[in-house]
Amino acid sequence: MSDEDPDGPLWRRLLLNRFVLVPGAIAAAILAWNIYVASHDNGIVEGLVVDPKGEPVAGASVALWVLNFTTYVEHAHTRTSADGRFRFDGNASHNIQLAAEKPGVGRSARVPVRLYFKAQDATLSEPLRLAGG
Amino acid sequence: MHRYPRWPIHLTLLGVSFVMLVPFYWVLKTSVSGENIFAYPPSVIPKNPHLFYYVDVWYYIPFARYFLNSVIVSFLCVAANVVFNAMAGYALTRGFAGKSLVLMLFLSCMMVPFQATIIPAYLMTGRLGLLDSHLGLALPQMSTIVCIFVFKASFDAVPRSLIDAAKIDGLSEWRIVWRVMMPLAKAAIATNVILGFIWSWNNFLWPLIVTRSADMQTLPLGLARFLSYQEDTTGALYAFCIMVLAPGILLFLLAQKEFIRGLTSGATKG
Repeated sequence: MSDEDPDGPLWRRLLLNRFVLVPGAIAAAILAWNIYVASHDNGIVEGLVVDPKGEPVAGASVALWVLNFTTYVEHAHTRTSADGRFRFDGNASHNIQLAAEKPGVGRSARVPVRLYFKAQDATLSEPLRLAGG
Repeated sequence: MHRYPRWPIHLTLLGVSFVMLVPFYWVLKTSVSGENIFAYPPSVIPKNPHLFYYVDVWYYIPFARYFLNSVIVSFLCVAANVVFNAMAGYALTRGFAGKSLVLMLFLSCMMVPFQATIIPAYLMTGRLGLLDSHLGLALPQMSTIVCIFVFKASFDAVPRSLIDAAKIDGLSEWRIVWRVMMPLAKAAIATNVILGFIWSWNNFLWPLIVTRSADMQTLPLGLARFLSYQEDTTGALYAFCIMVLAPGILLFLLAQKEFIRGLTSGATKG
């Protein structure tokens, strides 16, 4: 529809034009994004730790580093459960690293995890794989 | 039917468009890939593109605060430009003693670079108590001579009989400007909005001088601050550039038809 249709009703000409629709669409996208952020910012980071054979490792120590401006500092520790899963609560950063270690089994490489906003809930797509034990 | 084949001019335009758009594409590509701009051979398609550099920019500096400052200052500039330039443009379409002198003064003032007027502008802003404020940031750009002439050209195209009819109907000069002339000058208004917005949005020197607190800085100053914070931030730096450029490009794309019409109005008058 043309936004310059001189025959259309006034409300239509005022509302249905690109100067209203485009900012309106942007505002709607921002609102939707903020709603999504508000419902997914619990700071939960979850994942799985496996040994070199791919079996879950219970009792492994998992460390979480957060970016402190230019360097990463160790922020929290946890241990994996019997099924090899771990969970951090209250991560407030958007740029973190994770690593796991268990004496006798080995240690994983430090895995960077990038998030789209601070405290975003995240589940690792790949398990932390221990090696070199 | 066209007398000459049109493909050569289309081909030329395509080439020119390509040359002009490549830098924008390169900035966009680097902002999502972070590739070193000196890498050889350069990759045209970004490898593993992601948006995390934009996230970094958002959190490294108070981007939202700078963005808000830029929006407020640009809004003040745009609103003031439309009002003041329309008033000045209308006055220049009327006959009054010394009109030629005023026109000559305006044209000659266009040749004075802004850098030459910074010290008096700073002293005046300081005397008004507007340093480190949004109004102080917007003040020197609240009216621009180029935009006054855009309004003048647009108002000159309005038939004199229309203004006379409005006067016979009892409208004051003020109401003639806002009720008769402005609705007929949409292209000039769009040109004022776009030019006022882009000039204030991209302004670096004046905000650098007039701001004192970090909270009053605008996006161009934030860009400079960002550069001083980080050393190896190719991707984030380019993401920042995109975030600064995007509002201006969007506004131009929205109003480009009126913008071109506003700039060319009066150019073909006999």
